[in-house]
Amino acid sequence: MGSVRSLESGYYEALRRLTLEIAGVKLGSNTDFLVETRLSALARQQGYSSLEALISELFTDGNTRLAVQVVSALLERDLRFFDDKAGFASLSKIIWPRISAAFAGDKIKILSYGCATGQDAYSLAMTLSDIEDAFPDLAPQAGFEVTAVDYPSRALARATAGRFTHFDVQRGLPARSLVKHFTRDGEDWVISDRLRKRITFQEFHLLSNPEPLGQYHLVVMRNALARYAPSAQMRILRSLAPALETGGYLMLGSREGLGDLNFGLDPVENCPGFYKRRATRYSEDEPTLSGAVSPAREAG
Amino acid sequence: MKSCLIVDDSKMIRRVAGRILKDLNFTTGEAENGSQAMSVCKSTMPDAILLDWNMPVMDGLSFLKSLRQMPGGQNPVVVFCTAERNIERISEALDAGADEYVMKPFDSDIIESKFIEAGLI
Repeated sequence: MGSVRSLESGYYEALRRLTLEIAGVKLGSNTDFLVETRLSALARQQGYSSLEALISELFTDGNTRLAVQVVSALLERDLRFFDDKAGFASLSKIIWPRISAAFAGDKIKILSYGCATGQDAYSLAMTLSDIEDAFPDLAPQAGFEVTAVDYPSRALARATAGRFTHFDVQRGLPARSLVKHFTRDGEDWVISDRLRKRITFQEFHLLSNPEPLGQYHLVVMRNALARYAPSAQMRILRSLAPALETGGYLMLGSREGLGDLNFGLDPVENCPGFYKRRATRYSEDEPTLSGAVSPAREAG
Repeated sequence: MKSCLIVDDSKMIRRVAGRILKDLNFTTGEAENGSQAMSVCKSTMPDAILLDWNMPVMDGLSFLKSLRQMPGGQNPVVVFCTAERNIERISEALDAGADEYVMKPFDSDIIESKFIEAGLI
């Protein structure tokens, strides 16, 4: 296959460095196609005359907002509703009843960290809303609310709109959930107001300190850790742990784990990917990178 | 190996769906309409049925209602596969006993996802 490169070769390496610096993610060495397709689309969307014009402004003017948009476009993930059904089953049957009992009377606050196009946040809201409908006596009295954050990007704008394509809603979403929680608008499917009102989407730099976001009873970051470089994984986990209320839960993917690291979090028995924050804070002397279970793999 | 009956009046759709289902390790049979599908089911009940809605002779919804009344007709997992995209139509299909619903056009990823959802894979 011939080269797809339309930029000077130094720009590809510069884009890899930029992605590592801003997002802590190592792009693979063979990301030319990603650069060409995603950044060409971003250039069109932002009104640049060409991909070269966008890249030129990025590296000559040092436009930081554009840098974040470029990195977000390069890291955009293809998400599915209810991806990793084992995790959602554990949440419904084991974790949510425990949260409801432990924080009875509180409005349960959930943080979706790195929400991308929003399928995870909406899957959570559908799951918890269905539990409320089916077992009103067991649901938290004050209900729940979800805050979903990610870098400013086209993906976050799509999540905020709650609008999905014909193909999006047929990947992982049961037909009964489609009927219950979506309405059709032209060729697209739009999440119901009832669920949309329970989720706040917010721009946020995932490597910055999440303290301003407040504390949560459940923090969800699923199937995303492995794409980060080890130092960025540490940074994210170290700053996410205090964002959990004592007794709150961290939900990773059901095939992800913290390994020998713990950050003051204990694994939940029989619930792969779930960790509970214990009362005592973690020590700064926690074991370091050598114990990480989810080694960063190259994205792209 | 599980069996799937593909019921669609379009030969091309039957061929494309058949190829996808073979890749998913299903044996497949074909019927051009609901009436032919009834004959097949009376003879041998398949594990799954991929069912079009609008067909001549007997449409998909009529077939599904009749199937669910037949002895053993509760057993096959029925996945509607149709160009009908109205929420009312999807609800009607689910209420009549469909297990899942695919909106055309589809690809192999969608068929696999829906068959997983229906517990067939």
